[in-house]
Amino acid sequence: MTKEELTAYVGGHFDGKLKLLDTGRYDPMFEIQPGDLLDVARALRDDSRLQFDYLCSMGGVDTGEHLEVVYSIASSKTKSRLDFKFSLPYDKAEIDSIQEVWPGINWYEREAWELYGINVRNHGNLKRFLLPDDWDQGHPMLKNWDAPDFIRMPER
Amino acid sequence: MGDLRTEEFVVNMGPVHPSTHGVCRLMLTMNGEQIVDAEPVIGYLHRAIEKICENRTYPQCIPMMDRFEYVTAMSTNELFCLATERLAEVEVPERAEYIRVIMLELNRIASHLIFYGTTAMDCGALTPFLWGLRERELIIDLFEETCGQRLTYNYFRIGGVANDLPIDFVPKCRSALDVIEGKMSDYTGILNNNPIWLARLKGIGTAEADHALAWGVTGPVLRACGVAHDLRKDDPYSIYDRFDFEVPIAQEGDCYARYLVRLEEIRQSIKIVRQALDGLPEGETRTKIKANFKPPAGEIYTRIENSRGEMGIYIQSNGDKKPLRVKLRGGSYNQLQFLPEIVRGKGYLIADLVAIFATFDVILPEVDR
Repeated sequence: MTKEELTAYVGGHFDGKLKLLDTGRYDPMFEIQPGDLLDVARALRDDSRLQFDYLCSMGGVDTGEHLEVVYSIASSKTKSRLDFKFSLPYDKAEIDSIQEVWPGINWYEREAWELYGINVRNHGNLKRFLLPDDWDQGHPMLKNWDAPDFIRMPER
Repeated sequence: MGDLRTEEFVVNMGPVHPSTHGVCRLMLTMNGEQIVDAEPVIGYLHRAIEKICENRTYPQCIPMMDRFEYVTAMSTNELFCLATERLAEVEVPERAEYIRVIMLELNRIASHLIFYGTTAMDCGALTPFLWGLRERELIIDLFEETCGQRLTYNYFRIGGVANDLPIDFVPKCRSALDVIEGKMSDYTGILNNNPIWLARLKGIGTAEADHALAWGVTGPVLRACGVAHDLRKDDPYSIYDRFDFEVPIAQEGDCYARYLVRLEEIRQSIKIVRQALDGLPEGETRTKIKANFKPPAGEIYTRIENSRGEMGIYIQSNGDKKPLRVKLRGGSYNQLQFLPEIVRGKGYLIADLVAIFATFDVILPEVDR
């Protein structure tokens, strides 16, 4: 399937739950509703023409206005690849775990929880792992986070 | 005789254990000598590379990438430059593409030679370690002549490479390849019929293809389960579609299969480098980019085939000179997270875990970032 066919197929199926964005520069980027996450993930994996059988990467983004969660998935069988994402407000940063679809997302969700403060429902293993065990300085990947004793160099 | 009281206990393997090749702690739940469960504890090498990149301009990010995965630093250079070039639509001159492929494949050979040496050393054979590092030295010398560095190369640039190859690079590279190819029969000869080696690796740590894929495992570990998934063929980047090479696979999925796949990959990489040296054109090695380089707003996930599987980067740009978000994905990250899955409940010994860990070829800086 070429990229154009993939974009048309994904945009035209799945009850219109995936809306094409114009920000994707190499592979198509879709937007979904946070509530549809599990349904969309399951549908993308089980669709016989897509067969997205593994998750490349998943991570939070802080744009300065809101949080985003980006999922990158690929197929080893059909060789296609796409991304999808959704936005979250800072005060209601909560997502569903999709380990039942791609179990390899476990550590990525843990990382989003630890570094961005995005709560993951039904995760089962939300423990610190990249940061020290006694870390109490908040979520360091947020844009408004300042490291203690960190001196910002003046802009040139 | 009365019932013998037994209980499970926890053994910490690491954080500084010679066979983890970095700083990784495995919390092992043991039943006597047998492993019941394993839990990796990571983060000892976390350097916040993703956060640092958000505070640097795009060209300044490239040296950070070297530290992300320093055993194949050329791949990390390629990963970041490729993603930025796709984002900003920068053309790379033909000669630079050939130089990049030569460097990437030489680096893959060097990485697999380390794998060969350290795996054998972890299983009790010291000679392969000396051999592997001896031939790796030839490649590292070539890198040093080209870019002045032996580990963190910082050689690729957005739009090409930093400088042209040294004058006598091509003949030196050819003779290094001849030496390595000549030693391949030694490598396999000392181990493939060695009963201790076979007993340590065969039938140990067997992974199923579907299981591994669901956990995001890629690269030689997946190919050893019989899935011919190689991004150089499946999602060709740079100029890999011009070269003739095979994707080696094995069916067993055990430690021995992973070892065989990696050794065959050395042969295939030698083949690619030779073709690239034959086709190396003359010309420019770098497209000039603006001093105040600002890619247009947009986002991209780019992936390349590293010696440890799929290495990916997600970059979101808001049109500024610094990236808004850089997310790195290393093959080791998924492989380490998959490790408990194939250890749990199989009754392996700690010595088996050492072999499994070694053939997964996990590099901890790539996991912790």
